Parts: sequence; C-alpha cells; structure tokens
Amino acid sequence: MFSAIKTLFSYRELLLSLTKKELKVKYRGSVLGFFWSLLNPILTMLVYSFVFSMVLRAGIQEFAVFLICVLLPFNFLSNSVNYGTGSIIGNSNLVNKIYFPREIIPLSVVLANLFNFLLELVALFIVLGIMGYRFYIYLYVLPIVIFIQFFLVVGMTLLVSALNVFFRDLQHLITIIMMVWFFGTPVIYPLSMVPEKYQFIMKINPMTIYAAYYRNIFYFVKYPEGAGFPSAPETLLALGITFFIFFLGYFVFKRLEPRFAEEI
Amino acid sequence: MDFARKKYIEERLKSGNDTAVAVKSVTKRYRIHHEKTPSLKQTILKFKRTTYEEFLALDDVSFSIKHGETCGIIGPNGSGKSTLLKLMARIIQPTSGEIIVNGPLSALLELGAGFHPDLTGRENIYINAAILGMKKRDVDRKLNDIIGFSELERFIDMPVKNYSSGMYMRLGFSVAINVNPDIMLVDEVLAVGDQAFQAKCYKVIYDFMKRGKTIIIVSHDLETISDLCSKVVFLRDGKIVDMGKPLDIVSKYRAYIEELEKKRIIEQQRAERKKIFKTVIEGNRKVVSGEEISRLSNLSIGGETINRFGSGDADITDISLIDKSGRAIDYCSFGDEVKVVYKVLFKENVEDPIFGIRITDYRGNVIYGTNSRLHNMRTGVFKKNDKATVTFSFKVTLIGGEYSLSPAVGYNDNKTYCDWINNMFNLNVIHRNVAEGITDLNPEINIEKQ
Repeated sequence: MFSAIKTLFSYRELLLSLTKKELKVKYRGSVLGFFWSLLNPILTMLVYSFVFSMVLRAGIQEFAVFLICVLLPFNFLSNSVNYGTGSIIGNSNLVNKIYFPREIIPLSVVLANLFNFLLELVALFIVLGIMGYRFYIYLYVLPIVIFIQFFLVVGMTLLVSALNVFFRDLQHLITIIMMVWFFGTPVIYPLSMVPEKYQFIMKINPMTIYAAYYRNIFYFVKYPEGAGFPSAPETLLALGITFFIFFLGYFVFKRLEPRFAEEI
Repeated sequence: MDFARKKYIEERLKSGNDTAVAVKSVTKRYRIHHEKTPSLKQTILKFKRTTYEEFLALDDVSFSIKHGETCGIIGPNGSGKSTLLKLMARIIQPTSGEIIVNGPLSALLELGAGFHPDLTGRENIYINAAILGMKKRDVDRKLNDIIGFSELERFIDMPVKNYSSGMYMRLGFSVAINVNPDIMLVDEVLAVGDQAFQAKCYKVIYDFMKRGKTIIIVSHDLETISDLCSKVVFLRDGKIVDMGKPLDIVSKYRAYIEELEKKRIIEQQRAERKKIFKTVIEGNRKVVSGEEISRLSNLSIGGETINRFGSGDADITDISLIDKSGRAIDYCSFGDEVKVVYKVLFKENVEDPIFGIRITDYRGNVIYGTNSRLHNMRTGVFKKNDKATVTFSFKVTLIGGEYSLSPAVGYNDNKTYCDWINNMFNLNVIHRNVAEGITDLNPEINIEKQ
C-alpha cells in the first residue's frame, strides 16, 4: 500500500495532466465554460424547489438552500462514478499502448469532479453570504468531511471502473444504482421525515451521515432548530464503511488491472 | 545529462551487468471469448457459461538484448511480435516466465497515444509527453524542439481534430523522440509522413544508436531491419525460429516468405484454372466482329463478364506455361526463359489464321500483345479437325506481380476472330528486386564522383 502511494506520487504529473485534460475537454468549445456546469445543479435545484415548496409543500424553509448544500456533494459522488465507469474502456488506446498505473485514469476523473465541486462550493459561499447565512461558523469541519467523502468516491469509482472492463452492462446498471442511492440519501428530504424504524438502515449509507454534516455546516446555521451533528458511533460507522469501500475498490482494481489490456 | 541519469549509468558499469532486456522462458496465452462481452447476468447466474479458446501467442521464448544493441524482431503476421513488445512494455503480463528490464524504457507502440481531438497541438504535446513519462519542466524546455521537429509551427494552436493523419503522426513522433529513454521499443511507427520527414526520423534513430541507447524494433520492412539492427530475432507461431546477424536472419526470413508465397500462388492457380475452364465450357459464345471485342470485353451481360468471343470455327482447348526443361509451371521468376503454349482445334476450314496472345496486368492494362501476322508469318490452311499447338517463347522481363494471358485465333482479315478467351491463364512473376512500373530494364548503375 505504501509503495503504491510512492508509485502514484512518481506519476503525479501524469495524474495532473490527465485531470487538466478532463477539465479542458469538458469546457472546451463553450464560451461560458465552467458556468455551464453550474447550470445543472441550479436547474435541478429549481425543479425540486418548485415541487417541494409549491406542489408537495414539505414545509421546509428555504428549500433551495436545504437541497443544494447536499446536492453538490452528492453530485461529486454520482458524477465521478458515472463518468468513471467507462473511463478505462474509454481510454483503451492508452491502456493498450502505454504502461502506467491504471488507477490514474479513474483518479483523474475523480480529481476533475472534485475540482468542479470545489468551484461550486465557492459559488455557494457567495450566494449564502448574500442570503445572510453564517456558513463560516463550522467551515473548519468542511475540509475534513470532503477529505473523508473523497475516499468513498475514489473507492466506488475504482471498483466500478475495473468491474466495467469485464462486465460491460454494468454501465447501464450503475445509472440506476446511483438513482437509488440518490433517493436513499436525505438529499431532497430531511432524515427526520423517515420513519424511526427505517432510519437505522439509512444510516448504513455513509452518504446519509455526510449529508447531515454538510447540512449542519451550511443550512442549519440559519435554522438551528433541526441542527445536531451525527453521533460519534454513527460517524465511526460511516468512516468504517467508507474505508471498507475504499480498500475493496482498491484491491479489486489492483487484482483486475493486469488483465485490462487483454480484455479491452 | 542530468545527475540521476549519470549515476544510473555509472552504477550499471560498476555492476558489470550489460543486459538491457532479458526475456526468460516467456509464455503468453490469450483467452479468446466466444461471446465478446460476457454480461453480468450470465456470470452471476451461470446461465450460460462463457466459453473461450486459448491462443498461444508466445511459447517459451528466451533471449536477451545487451545495452547499446539495436534488435529487430521479424516474423509473419500473428507470430507474436507485438505481444512480445507489449510484454516488455509491461502493458500485459506473461502467463509464465519473466521479463527483466534494466533501465528506463519507453514504448512507441502508437504515435500520439492519448491525443484528444478537441485540444490543440500544444496542449496535446503536454498530455502525450506526460503519458510517456516526461516531466513538465522538461517539456517546457524542449517545447520548441518538439514543435520545430514536427514542422507544425503554423498549426500548433489548432485542435488536432483538424490535422491530417500525417500531421497527427508527425506530432506524435516528435514528442516520442524527445522522451529520451535508455531503452526504446518501436512498433512499425517509422513510416511517418513524407520522404523528407522519414529521412529525419531515421536520422534520429541513428542518433539514438550512436548515443548507445538500446532499441528494439518490430517491422515488416526488412530493409530497415537489416540497415539498423545489430541483431535480429525471427519469430513464427510464438516460437523463435532463429536469431543472430541481421543479414543471415533476414535472408532466412525472405526464403520462408517466398516459400509461403509460392504455396499461395499454386493454390490460387489451381482454383483459377478450374474456374476458367468452367466458364469456357459453360459460357455461351458470342459471335461478334473484331472491332467490338475491345468494347465488349469491358462489358458484362446479365452480371457475367463476357470472357469469350469469336465465330467458333476454331476452339482454343488448352493453355499452359512451360519452363526450360519442358515442365508445366504455375509461376515464373524474373529472367526465366518460358513458353506459353496453347492448343487449337479447328471446326471448319480456315485459311491463314492469325495466332496471338495478349498480356494484361491486374488492372486490365495491356502490357504486351503480339501475333503471328505482326511477325510476318504465313500460317497456311487449316482444315476441319486439324489441331495446332501454338508456342510463344520469351524471356520474362516483367517485374513481380500477377498478370493475365489472353490467347486468340483470328481470321486473316485481321478484324474478326475464331476464338478469343479473355484472361484464360494467370501468370505470376516473382521478382526480388524492388522496382516500380511494369518492366525491369535491369540497368547497370554507375556513379562517378567529380
């Protein structure tokens, strides 16, 4: 594991270069560049806000903020996994012709999405500042949460990108899995709305716990009645599952890696 | 030379280990799945067990290459050459055995690997260089060299999707040669760009050799191999047939290829002959006048090309190619004395017929044609049921390739024909010398320096 980090470090320039390529390709050919990528979460936010504050009337104050502060981190996960699934196959010309640690390919996808996520957060800070949210109170917690969520995202992306080389139909399945995961995480609803007896199941999902952290950091600073960070055991469980997925993804990837070039 | 590199070379000298690449009884088996992509459902449910065949790409191959050597790997398609390079480059893993590589290695298996069509040439240089293991500051330093070598100054800030394939390859090559590894693997990538650019590429490879770098080349271009290499490995069906001095091995390989080619020609000739006699026997003869022949021979009626013309007063019954010792042969070599012999059976009385042949190339261009009249021969009267054997003897001066022979018997009006069979016989010429055109003038070349 340690030597793996060392190898990865020696390939840091390639990782950086491929990450830049991901970003450049994404924003190439559009004048507004990065702002297009903001459009997606904003539109999602508008649609859900309309449904939940006008149609279904969930009674959540400032639903847009309630939603977006978890939607952005969740998009970081789902975009990474969705793009990462086909990344090895999509780069078959590299995998077939040049040697380098293959995890660089899915990692560059994750890093590009992380960069995107961080830019979106900056935009969020500005909006929250204007709306009078005191988001800076718990801001010191944010890097830690992002850091831990990063391992979850990397683990999932490594896992699906490697498996997809051998089972191509995973690509279709993963879209559905990510949709289920989305609705199984308190993104568009608060956890308190879930019946007590199901809450335990929800908490096995580490994203539920991280969602609670994000929401405390950004949203509940204005509406403290719902505030309250997850308990230590809950957080530890989420951490445990996160690192389980990370190591699972890593070892599955490393196990399958030598056969990538032949299978593509 | 940077410090790390100097240190590495010193260490190498001290240890006395001069082997750059050692291939130790390497075997590689591929699995060829019958169904291209096994689906998740099938695998989980074991509904249909995915079946596969094993393909032995390399079978217990061992050899080693010393530092500073230029080693060529040759062999027919599917002999395992590219598999071997991929194993050395660590892209795939051997099924058994091991490959030891001493020193930094760079594989030029594809030029411009990882180029993204939407990014500019300049941006792609950075990505491609990073993929090949170059540091960013080295790229910054060498950027002008790279662009200069590629001769793409004007287009460098244009997306590479607008490049021609030649430009694309040139940019790829320019990046690749600036990586500066100790051991370089090259797979058929030297044929880049126009003549002038190719000459530049060869110069670079020579420079690499002079600087004592190890180069391993896979190529079908035997001239290049014997020019560049100090050692050649001949692979066939995943096994080493022979290795050693370039000239010996290359001529062995040439002999092998020629043998294969002869076999192929004989097979083809047999099939072709069967086909021709079938159309001659079954085909309906069209009675036409001579002027129309050249027009009609390019026509087809009802999807079938007309292969035979004439009144039918005489039939061409057989044609063969005979060598000096009188044996029927399927192919000939440049310079051979051969005879084209065909037999004619007369069905009616014909006075002073003209006997001719025509040779066309595979595109249908007439290469040569002659007849008895052009040679001022009077052939006399042939009565019903008379037989004639017509022989054209000549020395083969055609360059290598496939030609068709059309025999004909005409009336003495020089316009109408008794029988004409288009492309009745396939003439294969084997020619070792490289030349272009249709005939070898076999010149003596003399150059005097003033």
